[in-house]
Amino acid sequence: MATSFNRLPQALHMIARNPTQSSKKLGFSTFLSCAPSMDSSFSRLSLNHSGSKFGFSLDTRVRKEFIVRAEDNAEAEPEEAAVDGIVDTEGNVEEVVEVGEAKPMRKPRIKLGDVMGILNKKAIEVSEKVRPVPEIRTGDIVDIKLEVPENRRRLSIYKGIVMSRQNAGIHTTIRIRRIIAGIGVEIVFPIYSPNIKEIKVMSHRKVRRARLYYLRDKLPRLSTFK
Amino acid sequence: MAAALASRFSRGRSLIGSLSNAFSGLMNSSNGIMNGNILSQQQQRTFIQMGTTLKVVDNSGAKEVKCIQSLKANKKGARLGDIIVGSVKEAIPKGKVKKGKVVYGVVVRAAMQKGRVDGSQVKFDDNAIVVVGIKEKKKKKPEENKKNKVEFNQPTGTRVFGPVPHEMRNKKQLKILALAQHMV
Repeated sequence: MATSFNRLPQALHMIARNPTQSSKKLGFSTFLSCAPSMDSSFSRLSLNHSGSKFGFSLDTRVRKEFIVRAEDNAEAEPEEAAVDGIVDTEGNVEEVVEVGEAKPMRKPRIKLGDVMGILNKKAIEVSEKVRPVPEIRTGDIVDIKLEVPENRRRLSIYKGIVMSRQNAGIHTTIRIRRIIAGIGVEIVFPIYSPNIKEIKVMSHRKVRRARLYYLRDKLPRLSTFK
Repeated sequence: MAAALASRFSRGRSLIGSLSNAFSGLMNSSNGIMNGNILSQQQQRTFIQMGTTLKVVDNSGAKEVKCIQSLKANKKGARLGDIIVGSVKEAIPKGKVKKGKVVYGVVVRAAMQKGRVDGSQVKFDDNAIVVVGIKEKKKKKPEENKKNKVEFNQPTGTRVFGPVPHEMRNKKQLKILALAQHMV
């Protein structure tokens, strides 16, 4: 029974799309035969919905006939719950919809899985207020000014190409590569760190990867930035 | 009857779906294998241990050193900033340090990433040391053995080449920092 019940809306749509329907009466008889006797309230509502789709082919008279027929079915099989005693099912549907809109929207409950995401967002907001972070993507050539606690006199400057960007909320990091004094150096920076005083995108190189690990095997010339 | 109608309607869709599924299945399997290879190809850099050859980046005379022992308590090996004992495998003809000598060196560049307190990490493209002491072969007198901890602060050479990380400051290698060309 459950399967036929689930298929019901699909069945209704099938019939709605089928233009070669013989007669209205035939259509309704199929509706009624499909309608399971279990949950007649739902079937009534869905039938009514499909009835409204059939607006072009239905007369109001026929619609009312159909409603009366459905109600007879309900009264024949008494049920305890969910029988709203609907006289005019159409009117009831409209009423329900209006009441729903008039009530203020209930605040969505915060699920346990969302907590980390919300905390990360809040932390990022706080960090952005102090220092906004520009949009950084792989292939950008950036200039980072870092305050090193040991070297408090002046800011260290790190320049290089962004090899990768790992998104992890507040610990979103970028990996910078550069050839310094003949040796390739890769440094991973957390971009929302308070130690970073400035990030500036100098230029951009067209790359077709998200992670440029191939630069390690390539000529040093490709990782040199003045 | 409803079921039959539904199946008839969706049969065309499902056929196409299955074809595309087969294609994507093939693609996924080949990509999966590639991903496995790529992951294994991504080098996992590890510690500097016995047998690791390191470059020497000062003008002490040695050119290449093979690690014999890492003086760190960590049984896995030495990292950036640690002291190692090494045997000189290659040296310039006229230098302070000759081939075959056993030397102490401090690791100034390591291919394995070193984490810093602010969350950043640094890694270099090669492994390199600066010689900070030469081991003497002659027998030590008993009084000298009392001083257990020997500080390796003074590099044997007078110049250091290449970039040097800030970790040297934590390891009290201030002379190396002073001689460095570039500090990372």
